[in-house]
Amino acid sequence: MSPTWIITKRELKANFDTPVAYIVLCLTLPAVAFNFFLNKDLGFFDINRASMTWLIENVSVLVVILATVLTMRVMADERRTGTLEMLITLPVKDHQVIVGKFLGTWAVVLCAVALTLLFPLTMFVWPWKLGALDWGPVLSGYLGLVLQSAACVGIGMLVSSLTESQVIAFVVTTIVLAFLHSTNFLIDSTETQWLRMALDFINFDSRVKSLARGLVTTRDIVYFLSIPILCLMASFHMLERRKWA
Amino acid sequence: MIEAKSLTKYFGSFRALDRVSFEVKKGEIVGFLGPNGAGKSTTMRILTCYISASAGTARVHGIDAFEDPLEVRRKIGYLPQRAPLYVEMSVWDYLRFCSEMRGVDTSTFKTRMKKIVDVCGLARVLGKDIRTLSHGYRQRVGLGQALLHDPPVLILDEPTSDLDPNERAEVIRYIQETGKNRTILLSTHNLNEVEAVCARSIIVSKGRIVADGPLDEIKALSGKVRYFVTLSAKGGKPSAQECADALRGVAGVTALRELPTDGSSHRFELRGSARGDLRAELFKLATQRGYTVLELRRETDSLEDAFKVLTRDDERADRGRAGRDVEEALAPAAATAAAAAAAEEDDEEEDEGDEADDDEKVDKAAEAAKAAGDDADDSEDDADDEEEDDEEEDEEEAAEKAAEPEAPAKSPSKDPKKDGR
Repeated sequence: MSPTWIITKRELKANFDTPVAYIVLCLTLPAVAFNFFLNKDLGFFDINRASMTWLIENVSVLVVILATVLTMRVMADERRTGTLEMLITLPVKDHQVIVGKFLGTWAVVLCAVALTLLFPLTMFVWPWKLGALDWGPVLSGYLGLVLQSAACVGIGMLVSSLTESQVIAFVVTTIVLAFLHSTNFLIDSTETQWLRMALDFINFDSRVKSLARGLVTTRDIVYFLSIPILCLMASFHMLERRKWA
Repeated sequence: MIEAKSLTKYFGSFRALDRVSFEVKKGEIVGFLGPNGAGKSTTMRILTCYISASAGTARVHGIDAFEDPLEVRRKIGYLPQRAPLYVEMSVWDYLRFCSEMRGVDTSTFKTRMKKIVDVCGLARVLGKDIRTLSHGYRQRVGLGQALLHDPPVLILDEPTSDLDPNERAEVIRYIQETGKNRTILLSTHNLNEVEAVCARSIIVSKGRIVADGPLDEIKALSGKVRYFVTLSAKGGKPSAQECADALRGVAGVTALRELPTDGSSHRFELRGSARGDLRAELFKLATQRGYTVLELRRETDSLEDAFKVLTRDDERADRGRAGRDVEEALAPAAATAAAAAAAEEDDEEEDEGDEADDDEKVDKAAEAAKAAGDDADDSEDDADDEEEDDEEEDEEEAAEKAAEPEAPAKSPSKDPKKDGR
């Protein structure tokens, strides 16, 4: 087994061995369910359509929270406690450490996302059959969630590898991800055309929404994929920096 | 097995290592000593390829650490300071993880584990989470991790720090046990441990190697070798004065002091050069003159004394007394290094480049040491006037002077008390 997979496996296990992931899931999943069904304007029963768009929008917030919480310790804590030294002095390449840790954390977020698939499955397949659901947009929406979670975990990991403090990593990641997720609310506050375009371009929410409506564009996919790739490369350089600084 | 050649490391503008060169041969256990911040961990991190040196080369097991870091890491078992482990894992899982990373297959892992459990005493904690373990046990797990792949080279960074005396003794025992056919570089603050397991040690101070050699030689580097001679004086013959004069006449004796006795014998304390052994000469003299020798003992200082002398500058800097010129501050270290180099030259031929370098060092050191010695003249009340004219001897005395703990403190350039505040 390659070192990357061993690190991924360990990271995955570490996340399930510590209570953080469970706590976040226990608190956020009910909130997602509550908001999905009972929201006054957008709730499932209120819009009177067999649509999962609103669920996917909710889950995308969950992804942001979960990614923030899970990534804060990934590199920062390893560096603070010195386990990074132990890990790196094993016969492993720096990029394997970064990729392994990324995959391990991403996998946990994906597990959570997969859990939310229970909503459409239980509502439209078994045990309840509430009607005919168009599965195309649901699947493309989940593709959006998968891509968005990769981007969120990537950003979180980069921030985590910039600092030794979990708290700082948490705060900075929260701010960055919250900003990227909600720039569409800021668009109306400015008249400047290029700023509006920029805010629209970097927005996570609108891209996930359009995917959730079944609109799969290369633009969105490339955008979401380029973020984790860039972040991983930057994290790799941060890890390499220890050698020279 | 381990070969470092003029390793230099800068952290920003701070020079953590300055041309550190040493070699550890196969099967040797070498103690790596030095005050905190002297560069021990930095050196070890370079050897394990965790960080890169700014200049110089390191080879482990014949493999260049910069060209093939992965292969070097495969050959090394490394225990970093304070044994950082994944606390959320159980001991077994952690060791399994490390062995997987090192490509040890399951069946080999199980056979190895039997031995490691035995050697490191892990039987009772295998299933426990590491977070619940005491520091001593964590240290053992760390040691176990370092031994999993049966590495030919072990690098242990303060494996006994923060341990209670029992645990410390145990860890030292493990090191002895596992070190039988391995090359081990062991850093520690506990000098007794070094004396227990190492035949050789390297002392670093402020990023430079100030001593490298067998423990006896290092102990002698503090420049204080004493001989105790007791001669029978039954019937008042020979007289104390006669004996003293005779002993003083032995080549290499630099000072003599008579110690109080009950009258039936004369007891003298002689000081000799740091190198060499005068006992044979002394005994010969006694037999020639027909003296009866009751005691003839050579005593070098303890490793601790040598350590203190060699690394004194670090301590001084910490107390804010490093007001002197940098060159001057380095003089004693350079002088002792030169003395060490001179000592080494006797044993083995060195290649030309190195020799030239050493000569230069010796000259400089002698000069610097003289300067330091001049300042400290008043503090010298020993019979240093009796120096031999021999050039080499001169150098050594200079080194010795420079190495006197009090000497540089009296340097007039700044008032230490003022600096301290």
